[in-house]
Amino acid sequence: MKNKSYLILAICLSFVVMLSACGPAATEPVTEVATEAPTEVATEAPAAEPCLIIGALYGGPMNDAGYNQAMHEAVMAIKTNIPCVEIIEAENVPDEAGATTTMQNMIDQGAKLIFPTAFNHQYPALTLSQSNPDVIFEHAGGWEMGANFANFFGEPPDGWYLMGVAAGMMTTSNKIGFVAAFPLGWTLTFVNAFELGVQSVNPEAQTIVSYTFAWGDATKDADTTNALINQGCDVITMHVDSPATIISTAESRSVYSIGFQNLAAQQFAPEYWISGTGFTLGGTLTWLASMVLDGTWTPIFVRCGIDDGCMAIAPFGPRVPQEVKDLVAEKQAEISAGTLVVFKGPIVDQDGTIRVAEGEVLSSEVMGSVDWFVQGVIGSPK
Amino acid sequence: MSLLSILGVLSSAIFSGTSLLYTTLGEVIDERAGIVNLGLEGVLLVSASSGFAVTSITGNPYLGILVAMLAGGLMNLVLGYLVITRKANQLASGLALMFFGFGLSALIGKSYVGVKITSLPKILLPGLAGLPPLYSSLFRFDLLIFLVIPAAILVWWLLYRTRWGLGLRAVGENADTAFASGRDPRLIRYQALFVGGMLVGLGAAHLSIAYAMNWTEYMTGGRGFIAVALVIFSKWHPLRAIVGALVFSAAVAFQLLLQSSGLQVSPFLLDTIPYILTLVVLIAWGGNRKHSAPASLGRVYQGSE
Repeated sequence: MKNKSYLILAICLSFVVMLSACGPAATEPVTEVATEAPTEVATEAPAAEPCLIIGALYGGPMNDAGYNQAMHEAVMAIKTNIPCVEIIEAENVPDEAGATTTMQNMIDQGAKLIFPTAFNHQYPALTLSQSNPDVIFEHAGGWEMGANFANFFGEPPDGWYLMGVAAGMMTTSNKIGFVAAFPLGWTLTFVNAFELGVQSVNPEAQTIVSYTFAWGDATKDADTTNALINQGCDVITMHVDSPATIISTAESRSVYSIGFQNLAAQQFAPEYWISGTGFTLGGTLTWLASMVLDGTWTPIFVRCGIDDGCMAIAPFGPRVPQEVKDLVAEKQAEISAGTLVVFKGPIVDQDGTIRVAEGEVLSSEVMGSVDWFVQGVIGSPK
Repeated sequence: MSLLSILGVLSSAIFSGTSLLYTTLGEVIDERAGIVNLGLEGVLLVSASSGFAVTSITGNPYLGILVAMLAGGLMNLVLGYLVITRKANQLASGLALMFFGFGLSALIGKSYVGVKITSLPKILLPGLAGLPPLYSSLFRFDLLIFLVIPAAILVWWLLYRTRWGLGLRAVGENADTAFASGRDPRLIRYQALFVGGMLVGLGAAHLSIAYAMNWTEYMTGGRGFIAVALVIFSKWHPLRAIVGALVFSAAVAFQLLLQSSGLQVSPFLLDTIPYILTLVVLIAWGGNRKHSAPASLGRVYQGSE
């Protein structure tokens, strides 16, 4: 017992030592919390009851310049468009148990609309939706549906095809590196859409895929990016949570990069940025929230693309010539008009097997469970 | 496999092996003084986050490196207080330090996620200016990479060529004997932990400020534990640690090369190659008694009356 109390004392002491030692680093977030909390209370106390309390939870930090930031910005757009709502946010909720308690906590605070935005949030949210029939759940990127549970997401493949067009024209080594977290269905679909875009302008060019086996291991991101560049890739793109490390690494090696998830990724590559595609779901979430307010909400499975404003193409970097910009715009117009369909047959996989026959189109239902790469991709799909 | 890809593996090994080598050197010093620091992962994280935060605030990466070193040293002193002064179990204290580091680094780094920093400038290895740019870009290194081999030699010199190093190793072998010869085992262990922690801080600084140029939670991804294994791999010798860190990082780079060479082997399997290699080496060298660990490694020094 005596030893134990010493241990606790030691830990407390060490905490004090660390806090005082780390000076500006440690005190910054602390003071931030201290100054923000009272002002928030001050501004909200005299205001009327919020018309709707919205809960949003994210799998990672909401300032990651990647997926979580894109979701955070979309949720905050509701507040801008409908000022009477109140928003409760929780970041860094990667696991299912944490998601359940976080959402329950939000319901206890009066939330009537909840946005669980990570892959692991889907089933906890679905379970909670059954025991809380008066709360509406809108999950991002899943597939389940229920009486008060629906799914929404942007459709990235068209954007990926357009990025492929730009990459195919910019590469001179005809090798394009793709850093992926895991060989998952949607990731493979993005790679395929990208390589189809590359081939449409440069049949010689190959997309080389390497996996990091983590959504947010920055060091592994850097390792993988360097390994791809060291094999001669002169354009790098990625599907991980935060593109910050990969784009910074490419920039430091004077290699072009294409971003994904959030348009803010451009800041990491002032010189060698080509373009990027990211989620801009603010309008869609505002629309969903307004329906909840009106009482007209019904479960709709929402999938929306560039034309609906759910996805956007980032501005081009300074080194991209006009002809590339023009061609991307041209292809984008063709996709909007319906004359260009990305996954239209014939599509042949790496082994030469026909995956989508002539005259057919890969349906969006199977895009999430694809387990093959199109011809021209180097790397293993499983 | 082209010349470019082979040189690429070497270059990748140097880039990602640097932080691993600094960390291993730090742990060599700790363990030579008789203390196993299993909390390395937490020390790395706290150093990486505080270094990154300071770089972001001041815009000066060198100041960030300095703070990371200091944070590493202080984190190790926390362990020192537990295991030297309070005589707590080293393994349990190390693990506690690790979890403490997880939380503290997340707190420090919270507002610096996704922030862009000015990184260290990269300088081409002298004499390679004539190479085509595709090749020369493989050998453009930052200051911390250039300093890592000298640091290993310095640690070797400190341990084997100075009186302080002799005392430190004596404490690691038998603290009572060291005490009898007029040395203060507790003081020496505190010193060893502080110096070792500063080296770990250098490794962390390379990780967040120079290599990844980014702070994310748990960004070390187990590298602290790899460093503990590399200490055994290098048989507690700072010069052999160079080989260990390079071999491990080369294995990581090599499996990434295999993944992207179109080889139809599961990338899940390829991803385990560096760890399997570490296991094999540990097993192969496990039975060699000649270079075994410092004799009082992990033992509490109860004090001599």
